[in-house]
Amino acid sequence: MHQTAGRGDAIKHVFMWPAFLIVLVVTLFPLIYALVVSFQAIRIVPPLPPRFVGVENYADILSSARFWGSMWTTSVIVFVSVALQFVIGFALALALHHNVPGANLYRVTFLLPMFLAPVCVALIARMIFHPYLGPVNDAMSGMGFGNIPFLTEPNLAVAVLITVEVWQWTPFVTLLMLAGLQSLPDEVFEAAKVDNIPAWRRFRDITFPMLLPLSVAVIFIRLIEGFKVIDTVFVLTGGGPGTATETLTLFAYNEGFKKFNLGYTSALSFTFLIIVIIVGTAYLAAAQRVMRRYA
Amino acid sequence: MAHVELSQLTKAFGAVTVIPPLDLDIEAGEFLVLVGPSGCGKTTTLRMLAGLETASSGTISIAGQDVTDTRPGERDCAMVFQNYALYPHMSVRDNIGYAMRVHGAAPAEIEARVGEAAELLGLTPYLDRKPKNLSGGQRQRVAIGRALVRQPQVFLFDEPLSNLDAKLRVEMRTEIKLLQRRLGTTTVYVTHDQVEAMTMADRVVVMHAGRIEQAADPITLYERPANRFVANFIGSPAMNFLSARIEGGAVHVGGQRLPLDPADAARLGDRTSVAFGIRPEHMRQAEAEAALSFTPEVVEPLGAHTLLLGHVGEEKVVAQVDPRFPAAPGEPCTVPVDMTQAHFFDPETDIRL
Ligand SMILES: Nc1ncnc2c1ncn2[C@@H]1O[C@H](COP(=O)(O)OP(=O)(O)OP(=O)(O)O)[C@@H](O)[C@H]1O
Ligand SMILES: [Mg+2]
Repeated sequence: MHQTAGRGDAIKHVFMWPAFLIVLVVTLFPLIYALVVSFQAIRIVPPLPPRFVGVENYADILSSARFWGSMWTTSVIVFVSVALQFVIGFALALALHHNVPGANLYRVTFLLPMFLAPVCVALIARMIFHPYLGPVNDAMSGMGFGNIPFLTEPNLAVAVLITVEVWQWTPFVTLLMLAGLQSLPDEVFEAAKVDNIPAWRRFRDITFPMLLPLSVAVIFIRLIEGFKVIDTVFVLTGGGPGTATETLTLFAYNEGFKKFNLGYTSALSFTFLIIVIIVGTAYLAAAQRVMRRYA
Repeated sequence: MAHVELSQLTKAFGAVTVIPPLDLDIEAGEFLVLVGPSGCGKTTTLRMLAGLETASSGTISIAGQDVTDTRPGERDCAMVFQNYALYPHMSVRDNIGYAMRVHGAAPAEIEARVGEAAELLGLTPYLDRKPKNLSGGQRQRVAIGRALVRQPQVFLFDEPLSNLDAKLRVEMRTEIKLLQRRLGTTTVYVTHDQVEAMTMADRVVVMHAGRIEQAADPITLYERPANRFVANFIGSPAMNFLSARIEGGAVHVGGQRLPLDPADAARLGDRTSVAFGIRPEHMRQAEAEAALSFTPEVVEPLGAHTLLLGHVGEEKVVAQVDPRFPAAPGEPCTVPVDMTQAHFFDPETDIRL
């Protein structure tokens, strides 16, 4: 069998090449094209002919304070919001799993934020946190705090962005962690109960380690997704005040669609890709370490 | 006073009553086996004892204390589950010592007790392995070890051997029994295997649809089953039941006359209808002998003895005879019947007469 279907068989090319060409055209060509562009100076408005500039774009990026600022903003938003999403999401999943009173009501509604488009969520948040019209500030002034400039003070604006991210994406974590909890074998926990292991030790020593691989995956997905955040920021603060809340993607968008500086934008995209790869790899390596302790 | 007392204990899942009121006293140090067909409520009873299932009504007390509403952890029971329920991410050592560690035992003591249990169960070479790298029998022993080191008041076993192969099951059966003897811990053991029940138990509780049919030592259960269900359930191959009539000191069955043991004859008197029970292995030569003729349809030689399967009247009958007994399929034969081992049951109530 193996021998007859071997080398000289021309039909294999008929099966192989279409797939290969599709992959080439659909994924690799745009990537390579973007990579080439990132080494050029291209402007659409006003139009300039493409000119090869080597790594100049990259050098510009690395020496730009605005880049490092957006990097910092993105990191703060991503790491803080993912941490909160995981902790709150896991806690909610546990509550749902153990049928805490009121769980049923929440079970129906908890997925809703996830289904909303981020733009809508951001618009709603913008109303809620509006300095004069928003209910949050109404309540704050009611309690005698005066008006708080939620969207125009840099730290507060970042905090609001984190809040919105957490509000929208915690359900995702809850959903996956709940599925994970429900797949754990009951008997193991019953054995622990009979052995008089207190609830928090059951969580720390049994539930958590058994869900560790899932947790690692969920956090990974949220990290990678989090780095791409743009719509929420665009609608809520537009990156302002100044560039205080500008994230990496928003920065790239501004360069590309406001300045039409395509070479620079391509280079920025690649820098972004490299950052995500580095963060992802570092995270997975660290997670592997922790998991090896348990697995 | 008994060590463990269940009184008027019931359990209903929604509208379905699984355990009607149940009373059971278990003596300190006793090895009690709950046995019965699948779905008769053995596991449910055991789980109520452990506190994993709340009783619908009635009370449970352990060592004189009412534990009906006590959390599972505070009942000082240790349970071995059918599918082991080991902590998959912990080594054998950690699995066994985990509860002690959580309860703040000194590391040296944990080490000592774990070592001792491992030694006892032949687990010493595997202490650093994870459960997934162990065989079924080894996992089962880890689960037993985990229960052992806690030195609980009561051991609870839920069909701990049902996932093992036949040979290992026989070995583990003996090991568990010896271990329990040595430790003298009160034990409740659930199984649906009557051989396991008979060989291990000090006392066997035969359950059927949540009810206790009979609670007695294995020999009593075998020799004096309280009713037809127990008679049928205990013993392999199962007892033969033939509808019969008692007249003039003899059993009349399918037109044949089997003279009764005089004591039985005096006790039973004449009856128009009884269920006459005789175990296949009691179709043998004896002092109070009778004979039963039938035509075997199948002859099954098992080596140590041979089974003859046939019908007397409309009813099936199995006889266990000597391998050299002259019998062939389709040829009428006559087997001796030891009438001292005959059982009689009321055909209406199924209760032993
Ligand atoms: N959580 C539950 N909800 C509803 N019915 C249940 C539940 N648990 C058990 N039952 C029912 O209770 C009865 C007794 O179940 P139980 O598990 O005690 O049987 P068992 O004697 O252990 O049987 P087996 O030998 O098959 O393990 C069964 O009819 C079962 O369907
Ligand atoms: Mg069961």
